[in-house]
Amino acid sequence: MSRPVTRTQVIAAMVKKDLAEYGRDRLWAFLTVLVLIFVIAIFWVLPNDVDESIDVGVQGISDPGVLVALETSEEGLTLVPFSSEDELRAVVAGEKRALLISEETIVIGSDVDPPEGARATDISIGLVFPEDFFSSAAAGIQTDVTVYIDGAVPEEIESAMSSVIRELAFAVSGSELPVSAPDETFVVLGEDRVGNQTTARDAFRPIFVFLILLMEMFVMASLIAKEIQDRTVSAVLVTPATTGDVLAAKGIAGAVSGMVQAVIVLVAINALGNEPLLILTFMLLGAVMVSGTAMIAGSSGKDFISTLFYGMAFMIPLMIPAFGALFPGTSSLWIRALPSYPLVDGLIEVTTYGGGWAETLPQLGALLGWCIALFALGWMILRRKVQSL
Amino acid sequence: MTDAAIEAKDLSFSYGNLKAVDGVSFSIASGEILGFLGPNGAGKSTTIKMLIGQLVPEDGTITILGMDPRHDKESIQARMGVCFEEKNLYESMTGEENLRFFASLFGIKSPDAQELLSRVGLADRGDDRVSKYSKGMRQRLMMARALVNQPDVLFLDEPTDGLDPASAQSIRNLILKESDRGAAILLTTHDMHEADELSDRVAFINEGKLHAVDTPENLKMQHGKRSVKVRVREEGDVSERIVELDDASAGEQLKAAVSSAGLLTIHTEEASLENIFIEMTGRRLQG
Repeated sequence: MSRPVTRTQVIAAMVKKDLAEYGRDRLWAFLTVLVLIFVIAIFWVLPNDVDESIDVGVQGISDPGVLVALETSEEGLTLVPFSSEDELRAVVAGEKRALLISEETIVIGSDVDPPEGARATDISIGLVFPEDFFSSAAAGIQTDVTVYIDGAVPEEIESAMSSVIRELAFAVSGSELPVSAPDETFVVLGEDRVGNQTTARDAFRPIFVFLILLMEMFVMASLIAKEIQDRTVSAVLVTPATTGDVLAAKGIAGAVSGMVQAVIVLVAINALGNEPLLILTFMLLGAVMVSGTAMIAGSSGKDFISTLFYGMAFMIPLMIPAFGALFPGTSSLWIRALPSYPLVDGLIEVTTYGGGWAETLPQLGALLGWCIALFALGWMILRRKVQSL
Repeated sequence: MTDAAIEAKDLSFSYGNLKAVDGVSFSIASGEILGFLGPNGAGKSTTIKMLIGQLVPEDGTITILGMDPRHDKESIQARMGVCFEEKNLYESMTGEENLRFFASLFGIKSPDAQELLSRVGLADRGDDRVSKYSKGMRQRLMMARALVNQPDVLFLDEPTDGLDPASAQSIRNLILKESDRGAAILLTTHDMHEADELSDRVAFINEGKLHAVDTPENLKMQHGKRSVKVRVREEGDVSERIVELDDASAGEQLKAAVSSAGLLTIHTEEASLENIFIEMTGRRLQG
């Protein structure tokens, strides 16, 4: 004879069943293991060092000693001397190319073959110092330095160049001087880290973790769609289980399996070193958020292919912030509006730059908001679908 | 307060402009089997969906085990068993796991799954995944699932559909045992012989309206002929004679026929449920 059953017992039974079904679905179980292995293996194959230097064209400083001193003080900076401002401007604009032969700069047209032994430069920034720069700086008189910047260069690089100029002026005069930088501004994803470049492993780490969550979304969407298509949910709903219990169980099963896999990856790629509790909080919110999207995709799909289609429809926009983080400066403001942005941005802040709770509070708040919104939407759509059966 | 385990009063439901169920009323006592008969689209499934809580009636009231499903849905469902027409089982789980899972939803921690499987003839297949089951085995597991909580009310939608004759008979025996145990049973079936064999009463539904609710015997009495057809061989020829039971000489005529050396067969002329349904609704039950 049956006894009164509690909501917790019902939900726990359904979570256990959902996880068992997940484990027995050969396709998804295989893909899950494959993605886990792939992600971990790729991470450790990626280089773990920074090989990033910036070529900067300089005109107006004839003393090679000054250039060498500047290069030494600014790590990752290669200064290429130019004799003409027009040539420097043309090179930055991409109209001409600058080559280095025995410390000497030659400028050639874009369609001319370079001479043997010449090293190609990649100059997208040019600094033009006035003739009286040193005398003015020494006398404490303000002067203008023109900075040419290619449109593809992030805004923050401009600030970095200002620092170079200020440092040079300070070295000469012992005082600051203003700098004008007439060029367009550009938006980059997150906080750009000029002088604090990240390794490939650092750059890919949040992507890998996020990939696991998206994989989870496909699995949950597939399980939800199967439950609806097979009408097994109808059989469940004539027991003491309620629609709310079914939805809660799906959400919990999705979040648990997503979290477990994410933690495996985080441990395997050594990403839990800084603020593990904070990282797990991000992952939990992320897992709940993708469970919400899985409910939407699972309710919308009528078969495996259409569920996959709806899953992809969510996956592609959600992946954009993760890939955008690889290419600072190529992203735009609209990316910040995507639900996955605060998750990726927060993970980058914590795992790559050692941020803590205080630094990631805005990302946590935004992620919580998206998490509630998407889970509520998924809940509502799945509830309507279940009740229509 | 009512003694009926299941009571429906003036139930109505529409899908858009289509009136699927229109003022249906009936009751089922504990231990009683009501055969719910009607062709596809007659309103059987919609009525069952309202009774098991999947649809909310537009009009009318439902009382199950003395409770109102609108207020006591979970209490009712705890004492209810449903065998769906569609085979909605978890394919990746074994037969026994399916039963254990559903038992856990009723708060039953240690169900005797093996005993349930034995009752439906699946004792040796309980460890196999449902995906490996035949249609008949799935149907039997569905029946076992409906009994997992020893329900007081049972809704059985075509429970012998797709079964071989032996399996179908074992399920019928199971239904009769559940009735003997005291469960009130609503049974839908296309099989008139099955309805006749199992049902204490039958209800005819067509185009959403109930046309009759009575015992099979009463319906046959009301709609069949009170006559007996006698076939005898006399001097090498086979002849048929109709004996009208209301005739004063009916007893004598039957006595003579039974004592005749040439008697071949005696058949009552009572109507079948199928014939009565056609007479009342103008439609066949199947097709």
